[in-house]
Amino acid sequence: MKSIQVNFMVNGKNHQIVTAPNRTLLSVLREDLKLTGTKEGCGVGECGACAVIMNGEPVNSCLVLVGQANGSTITTIEGLSKNGQPHPLQKAFVEHGAVQCGFCTPGMIIASKALLDKNPDPSDEQIREALAGNICRCTGYTKIVEAVQAAAEESNHA
Amino acid sequence: MREKDTLIGKSILRADAWDKVTGSAKYVADIQTKDMKFGLVLRSTEHHALIREINTVAAKQIPGVTAVITMDDVQGSKYYGPINPDRPILAHDKVRFVGEPVAIIVAETLAAAGAARDAIQVTYETLEPVFDPIQALGPGAPPIHPDGNLLAHFEIEEGDLEKGFEEADLIVEQTFTVPRIYPGYLEPEASLAEWHQDEHLTVWVSSQKPFNDREHISHVLGLPTEKVQVKVATIGGAFGGKEDSNLAILAALAAWKTRCTVKLVNTREESLLAHPKRHPAILTYKAGVKKDGTLTAMKVSSHMDTGAYGSYGIAVSQLHTETLTGPYRVPNVRLDTYLVYTNSPISGAMRGFGAPQSNFGSEGMMDILAAKLGMDPIAFRQKNIWRSGDRNVTRALVNQPESLQKSLDLVKEEIKRLKQIPPAPGMRSGVGFALSVQTMGLGHRVPDDSTNRLEWQPDGKILVRIGAPDLGQGLNTVAAQMTAEALGLPIHQVEVAELDSFVSPDGGVTCASRMTYSVGNSLLMASQKAIAALVDAAAELLRVDHVNIQYENGQLLRLDQPGLDPIPAAEITSRVAEAGKTLTGEATFSFPYGPGTPEHLPLGMPHVKFCMGAQVARVEVDPRLGIVKVQEIVAIHDLGRVINRVNVEGQIEGGVVMGVGFAVTEEMSLKADRHWVNNLTEYLLPTSMDAPPVIKSVLLEYPEESGPFGVKGIGEIPLVPTPAAIVSAVENAVGVRVTSAPIKREDLLAKIG
Amino acid sequence: MEEFEYLSPANLPQLLQFLSFPGGRVIAGGTDLIPKLRSGTLHISSLIDIGHVEELRFIQEDAEWVRIGAGTTYADVLESPVLARYAPVLIQATRLVASPMARARGTIGGNIGNASPAGDSMPPLLVLDAEATLINPAGQRVLPLEEVVIGPMKTLLAPDEIIHHVSFRKPPASRGFGFEKLGPRQGMTISIATTAAAIELNTNQTISTARIALGAVAPTPLRCKIAEELLLDRKPVEETWKLAVEAALKNMAPIDDVRASQEYRRKVTGVLLERALQSAADLAKRSA
Repeated sequence: MKSIQVNFMVNGKNHQIVTAPNRTLLSVLREDLKLTGTKEGCGVGECGACAVIMNGEPVNSCLVLVGQANGSTITTIEGLSKNGQPHPLQKAFVEHGAVQCGFCTPGMIIASKALLDKNPDPSDEQIREALAGNICRCTGYTKIVEAVQAAAEESNHA
Repeated sequence: MREKDTLIGKSILRADAWDKVTGSAKYVADIQTKDMKFGLVLRSTEHHALIREINTVAAKQIPGVTAVITMDDVQGSKYYGPINPDRPILAHDKVRFVGEPVAIIVAETLAAAGAARDAIQVTYETLEPVFDPIQALGPGAPPIHPDGNLLAHFEIEEGDLEKGFEEADLIVEQTFTVPRIYPGYLEPEASLAEWHQDEHLTVWVSSQKPFNDREHISHVLGLPTEKVQVKVATIGGAFGGKEDSNLAILAALAAWKTRCTVKLVNTREESLLAHPKRHPAILTYKAGVKKDGTLTAMKVSSHMDTGAYGSYGIAVSQLHTETLTGPYRVPNVRLDTYLVYTNSPISGAMRGFGAPQSNFGSEGMMDILAAKLGMDPIAFRQKNIWRSGDRNVTRALVNQPESLQKSLDLVKEEIKRLKQIPPAPGMRSGVGFALSVQTMGLGHRVPDDSTNRLEWQPDGKILVRIGAPDLGQGLNTVAAQMTAEALGLPIHQVEVAELDSFVSPDGGVTCASRMTYSVGNSLLMASQKAIAALVDAAAELLRVDHVNIQYENGQLLRLDQPGLDPIPAAEITSRVAEAGKTLTGEATFSFPYGPGTPEHLPLGMPHVKFCMGAQVARVEVDPRLGIVKVQEIVAIHDLGRVINRVNVEGQIEGGVVMGVGFAVTEEMSLKADRHWVNNLTEYLLPTSMDAPPVIKSVLLEYPEESGPFGVKGIGEIPLVPTPAAIVSAVENAVGVRVTSAPIKREDLLAKIG
Repeated sequence: MEEFEYLSPANLPQLLQFLSFPGGRVIAGGTDLIPKLRSGTLHISSLIDIGHVEELRFIQEDAEWVRIGAGTTYADVLESPVLARYAPVLIQATRLVASPMARARGTIGGNIGNASPAGDSMPPLLVLDAEATLINPAGQRVLPLEEVVIGPMKTLLAPDEIIHHVSFRKPPASRGFGFEKLGPRQGMTISIATTAAAIELNTNQTISTARIALGAVAPTPLRCKIAEELLLDRKPVEETWKLAVEAALKNMAPIDDVRASQEYRRKVTGVLLERALQSAADLAKRSA
């Protein structure tokens, strides 16, 4: 199996990787770039724990082959804070009790960010629809929805 | 302590939340060390088979492979189990379920390990499997274990059952079935073991019971426990499923055998197949009531499917038996629980531990009996709920049963409110409720100690060496909160240490709705000792008698010289640290089984502390499609004292949605092609669109005097009444009484007519 | 995961060139293929990634037609003003596909090419009378969409052929569409049954045009032409829908699986079809 060369930008930094093409973006992020904030929960795109933002859209990185990511701009959970300032979503998740075991949290925040980037003033129903691809087993989702609402409000009044 | 509790009841933010929202919290799979090798487990593809041969020759020759390990490599104990050691470390002569570990492959890369795994040839001789617990007890059922398929039978008999039925004006019989439920934590099981040159092993675990893991590992490897260091990483949920040392043992075995660092991470499919799940059960009830609604007799026969190995089945079936009659006065009972082996995946500890199954039956019966009597279901329950001074069928005294009446009063109000909400077009709305009881503790005569230690830091802060792991539910946060309260310190002055078996005391297993309770009590005692240690050290340094020193809120006062400024604790602790010492306070709390504890039941019974609650459900049913949408759950729970409000709400909301899954979408079943449901497209966890959009928590505080600040447990009970409340609401909506979970749309459709 | 050679054509000519070599398999979003590669149920010697071929990702309109490139993602569909105007039924269906993450990667061409009986883009496209343009190194051909999928996970595409785009005539403004989906859970769910319908009314309010398509209840997505004909000249009322349902059920061949039984699928498809037809008729009435 021939290796391939892939270039992409992750959290504002350019990377060039030479690797086997049958690897996923998830595994490259975690193992090669040591960005372990993105998690593997199921490997088949059914839990959302591996979500990252790729070219402006939320994607399950376990279902992106590394070659498919060539030329993309990627943001992982580690890339959300700016100049040491946490993203309003990160702050809201902490303040509203939306974090328990935390394993779903990076993916959940990524999916929430993708929503707010497109729809800065979502209803509760729209939030639930946008997060339907992120399973949480601990929180029951109530405080996650509250946190996203709070982050939306904070961003809208900023 | 301060005069007024100032931290108790506050929603103190979790200290670990920032690490989690930034992605820097480290779970086991995130740990990467230099020279780390990768492990994979070869698992049985047969439900039930003899192993004739395991041929690893070709596998060992694959480039990059470090070792292929089988049972032959186990030099210590070859079997383990949390209660009965019936489980082989690796299958060697027989496999009893699909997913059972047979061999471990260690290699430089996962790809090489995978190739080697594919190259192992196991010769199986297929045996007839059995998957149903009643069938497994029948004639001609294939024996799964040498002593037959009945692992245990627990019975409770009180009063005179026959007489009780004679006194009844109405006798009703009903069978209920509950499914195999997967804990569904987001973090699949993982373990990383490092072998050190000085011949000690460090094992990173995602586990509810690191000290038990250590014990099992040391037995299996024949190593003294001092040579086994277990460290707990951030845990991504557990819910009982991580009360199983299997992966930690396998990782430790791999590291010990290869003298390397080995990481083992389960795939989601492996997790579904190979780690413990909730016991499915078939419960047959027969109950007698008088015309006025008084229960006179109850006979229950329950068959619990413990799967291929016992795991915590014995304890689960005990707690299950104790809760079969619910929080009600039933004078004449005969309860039998049969714990049965089958070739299904292992059932073991899972949140609720037998109580969710019994609640589904008992609350179903209450509704059915009330309906047959033409009695309002609230009034019916009112007639029969525990009152002050009452005992459970186990003869254990019930604590704070007054909360049940209060719960029923609130249920009445909530039902009234919810019934006014009109359904969406085309849907039918229904409101229902259920009461619940959960026990706390491990059961009589089961050692249940929690030891925790406080250490004064040089800067005057307190480090909590908690001995039991935080699974994500927030145990570390409430531990810090209670400690800060006891010591009169601001919360940021209290830190909680990572759990390391080389340093931390044994705080017990995180389970059984008693962590805030037991750890809290232990920390309150430890706080007194830590204060005493500080006072003594101050007395020594200041060369005064310790009676002249009083501790208050992080400071020391000179009683003999009241004019002097208070001395900050840091002044003493820093000087002590300079001398190379640490001031500590350590205490062990033993779960209390007082002299009045009933002695007539087997080891593990009875449980003597209870938590109770009620839930009201509003559902909307599409009568043409049979879909049930849970729109609102009101969760009324008495937890004695609220330590951290947002944490408690989080536990309740999460538990409720777990209960919704049990009732509506979750079941791990054997498919027609004889493959188990083993992925998340078929095992359906509730998404944000399946969870009720409204979950309202009503927190009652009837203090339990043996609990720290009056606390009882909340970890498990929130999911207990949810399925029964939903069933009750569905009946209210469409007139169909469902007696098995999950609610099957086709059954509903067929009966709606 | 399975090993394979990875080819990433930068443009359409290069893609066609790669297609002319044997053994290649096209991957679009990959949400269907990658789990199969991971589990070892699919063996491919070389994977041709169309994801960087921008020429395949478009939504175009002219006076009469709308064309959707095979590389168009579901997310693109949801954001398209052209489709919002001319194919709201496709948008309705797309909103319910899996999860936002899957919609960011899944493509229309991939959904059709994967040929799952439960493919959610198919019933809406079928009631839009869509056509598929297939291309290969030698040329192209245009077929009615319903001819492309010939069995579960099977299309009539030749080994060197791919879907270039689907197209449909802009429906008259007076035509109403409806879509219904049922899955085993509310969010992120596969389909147990989907129904799509189109209704147009005469001036006397009887049905002048009808389209019915079913998904997930037969080896392939189905156009129910017999049922459609039964509706003509009838009033858009419940009794009429029941006739259509009876006829449509005859075409169905639903499976029994862990998610639902055959019988349940039959029952619910009838209900969903009635509802889709009613929604379509209500919209048709409103624009009359």
